[in-house]
Amino acid sequence: MALKGLDIFKLSPKKNCKECGSPTCMAFCMKVAQGAVEISKCPYFSDDAKAMLNEQTAPPMKTITVGEHKLGGETVLYRHEKTLVNKNLFAVAVGTSLSAEEADKKLAELQKVDYERIGERMHVECVFVANTQNDPAVYAALVEKAAKVGRTLILECWDVECAKAALAVAGTNVILDGATPANWEAMNAVATEAKVALGVHADSISDLYDTVKNLEAKGNKNLVLDVTAATAKETLKNAVLVRRTALKDGDRSFGYPSIVNVARIAKGDDRLQTAYASMFVERYGSIIVMENMTYAQALPLYGLRQNIFTDPQKPMKVESKIYPLNGADENSPCVLTVDFALTYFLVSGELERSNVPVNLIITDASGMSVLTAWAAGKFSSSTVKKTIEELDVENKIKNRTLIIPGKVAVMKGEIQEKLPGWNVVVGTLEAVQIPKYMKDKEYEGAAAAAAAENAAKAASGVKEEVKELSFDELLATKVPAIEVVDMGVKYKGHNPESQTFVTIGERIHCISPAIRKAMDERDPAPILKRAAEQIAAGATYLDVNIGPAEKDGPERMMWAVKLLQENFNNVPLALDTANKKAIEAGIKVYNRTNGKPIVNSADAGSRISYIDLAAANDAICIALCSADGIAKDNDERMKHCHNMLERGMSLGMTSDDLWFDPLFLVVKGMQDKQMDVLNAIKLFADEGLKSTGGLSNNSNGAPKTVRPIMDSALVAMCMMQGLTSAIVNPCDLRLMETIKSCDIFKNHVLYSDSYLDL
Amino acid sequence: MAFTPKTAHFNGHINAVTLGTGDKATVIGGQNVMPFYTFDAAVEHAPKIGIEISDLAGSWTAPGIVDFYAGCTTMAQRAVRAESMPGADFLALHFESADPNGANRSVEDCVADAKAVAEAVSMPIVIMGCKNMEKDGELFSKIAEALQGKNILVMSAKNEDYKTVGASVALAYGQKVGAETADDINLAKQLNIMLKGLSIAPENIVMNIGTAAVGYGYEYVASTLDRVRLAALAQSDADLQMPIIAPVSPDTWGVKESTASEEDEPAWGCQEERAIEMEVSTAAANLTGGADAVIMRHPAAVATIKKFITELV
Repeated sequence: MALKGLDIFKLSPKKNCKECGSPTCMAFCMKVAQGAVEISKCPYFSDDAKAMLNEQTAPPMKTITVGEHKLGGETVLYRHEKTLVNKNLFAVAVGTSLSAEEADKKLAELQKVDYERIGERMHVECVFVANTQNDPAVYAALVEKAAKVGRTLILECWDVECAKAALAVAGTNVILDGATPANWEAMNAVATEAKVALGVHADSISDLYDTVKNLEAKGNKNLVLDVTAATAKETLKNAVLVRRTALKDGDRSFGYPSIVNVARIAKGDDRLQTAYASMFVERYGSIIVMENMTYAQALPLYGLRQNIFTDPQKPMKVESKIYPLNGADENSPCVLTVDFALTYFLVSGELERSNVPVNLIITDASGMSVLTAWAAGKFSSSTVKKTIEELDVENKIKNRTLIIPGKVAVMKGEIQEKLPGWNVVVGTLEAVQIPKYMKDKEYEGAAAAAAAENAAKAASGVKEEVKELSFDELLATKVPAIEVVDMGVKYKGHNPESQTFVTIGERIHCISPAIRKAMDERDPAPILKRAAEQIAAGATYLDVNIGPAEKDGPERMMWAVKLLQENFNNVPLALDTANKKAIEAGIKVYNRTNGKPIVNSADAGSRISYIDLAAANDAICIALCSADGIAKDNDERMKHCHNMLERGMSLGMTSDDLWFDPLFLVVKGMQDKQMDVLNAIKLFADEGLKSTGGLSNNSNGAPKTVRPIMDSALVAMCMMQGLTSAIVNPCDLRLMETIKSCDIFKNHVLYSDSYLDL
Repeated sequence: MAFTPKTAHFNGHINAVTLGTGDKATVIGGQNVMPFYTFDAAVEHAPKIGIEISDLAGSWTAPGIVDFYAGCTTMAQRAVRAESMPGADFLALHFESADPNGANRSVEDCVADAKAVAEAVSMPIVIMGCKNMEKDGELFSKIAEALQGKNILVMSAKNEDYKTVGASVALAYGQKVGAETADDINLAKQLNIMLKGLSIAPENIVMNIGTAAVGYGYEYVASTLDRVRLAALAQSDADLQMPIIAPVSPDTWGVKESTASEEDEPAWGCQEERAIEMEVSTAAANLTGGADAVIMRHPAAVATIKKFITELV
């Protein structure tokens, strides 16, 4: 595990002298943490601080590498606290007490379980070879045989001569599970000589601790702790105490992976071993040794392990591919949806209930749900086309009916255009409606209609115009003239130099059906209505989300920008779409009287080039401090922050024009991460950086009556931390009053009794 | 330097809820440590095992189950037989056939079954519905009424129907009520608060915080169990200190690992053994996470989990 950048920062001189070549101490410390520069580049780091740093930043639990496997390295006791890092391994035990035939049979058996489950190979990773006769030749013969299986070997051998003989034939993909309070010194020499990890075992946990201390004093930290005791109860106690002592109490002498031998504590009872193994998958077994591993045992145990070691911080995604359901073949219709795991499970479950053979095509949408992915541009006609091509669907499936989610009915035309050979049909809005929809074969009529339409189009021979128009040409030909309507509201102007909190009104968003329709039809009324409400409520900026707008993005955005600015005294805008050309077009017609346009938004991953776009157009850019999914901690947030800051500044932006978004997280689900977000804001502010974000995300799913209270409390805490802007619903009176009050306390606005009315 | 382990027992503790009456009454919950952490503090009440008896049990084909219930044709007969199953602590009557989209058995017939069982057995009774909210509402109310005085647990009240189920089951007829949510700790807490708001005593509430077979999104169950238990113990959150019951078998017997025949999956081996191991693993994982009771089906799986519990407590 890398050093923690923020821990290093705490010990840094905090002079921001730039002598190291980095703009700030924080930036320097982040680079040190990433291994990009040596700490010695800083002339002011004291030796004491450096020594303390080594001590403080060593991980609480070592990662031990054996062959291709990594063990340990955990930082939390429970997966919800962050994530578990290295999955446990399974071993099957053989021993010198077995006859040669029995051993051969077991070694052959354990290789039979070998299959793939959701992209992961499931097999017995280790062979545990027990030495019970203390005859070096006998033991070495068995070890040699076991080594041929090609798995990691765990040599349980407390006799030094046997261990030497075994290591001579075992290769290097080995753990020598051999140190005890009696033999540790000699066994340490053997393991060190052979450069293999050493397993330590003792009858009591306190002897185990002492033996580890002795080995550490000799310089060996390549250890694994065999915590197996006589009973399951004692073994659980050892496993828990060892892990808890390391992670909770910070005693690194127990910060090693464990071996748990359930073959020993439930000898002869495969089912009981499954029960114990299930427990130790959840509670701190790093290597779990079984007497056998039949398919009946493997199916639940590997499934459980895969679940437990799933990273709760990553969106649950399923693989983009064709899933034939209910015995579907090449003549069955295709149903398309996104790769968000819950969507997949819901949709595939309902499709299965329909009993109609279908090919479920999963498209890569970064693990987002249908509408979210659509709004973010991750689920569009282009991505659908790409999926159809990459999965080679046209060669694999003859049926040309493609059913798309009802929620993205708006994409039908675009998909149809990009996939001319297909009959695109709009499916149901909700998954629960699927069984009836499929059983009633509603899609067949729609597919026939689509086919007829396609045929007519082909017959008429009309090709859609493909010539790309310049922005000016588009403006002249495709953007309707703006009619100025008196909405009874006037935008009162904004001084870009002002320190007051900047609210960006979020209500003009294509995820709302009314706005989506208005954008599609270029119907000004619903858009102006929402704009007027937000301006009346005191919004500084308005966000304009035009959806992914793949086809007509530029003219759409130009229309929206002109519509809003011409009607509302050049209200400043945040331009929000996955179509970069549309943002560029919007900026072309943008009036800067009340502030620069905001590009919403860049991130440190696939959308990093939005910074280039903002830089080239002298715009402000919202910079989301995440790459793929939520940043796992503030080290990662700050790493993304500095990457984007450096990119922007190298392109000539000033740091004031990058507004960093920590990514606000929902309380219902990520309550324990809220303080991380608040602390990130403080870190931005400490470096003099501006910040913003979709603050109301915190209260998603909470009752309508509660949301304004949560949002207000959070905005006050955020402003205390130094947040300078937020994307909010300005029509939330409580929130807006809280913001105005905080601006008073922050001395950004001079107090008067009527400050709330201003 | 000798190693002295730090213990971690808590001031908060899980409510001890008694089900049933008389000699066979059983207590679930009660501990103030993480599951099986006997080294932190003694665990007073070991986790319990309930035997699932469905009104569709006649269609169960696993040979071990068929043999065990040989000669039984009614739910009452099966219940009597299940009482003799080694490891059984209570009986879970599962009225699957009441489902209007299935066999749509009448409420009267189901109530008659429940009454017949109650007259024939002395173990505590848990009632599981058909998952059709409307039908379950009526079914739960009528069974709770018919079995007054038996101190049964009715599973479950949900966010959508807690008022009617809670009022009839717990308030009108004095039974225990289950609070069912799906892997959502915030909702689990909220539902308990709302049930308490109806004047139902906390000692009359048991939680089902969501279930899944291992391999099928079980990580949500595992983390919800961890978080609920930590909130109940470490934060002394009285609204999450209700004991947890996990109906394991309805999930594990429905997944591919348990239902695929040997012809379909020749490499996988004996279908019954797969179903048993699936049930064992899921039950053990639930108990390790914090379930105070599990509902199971196969006698061999029950025997294994009984041994598991006995060895660990």
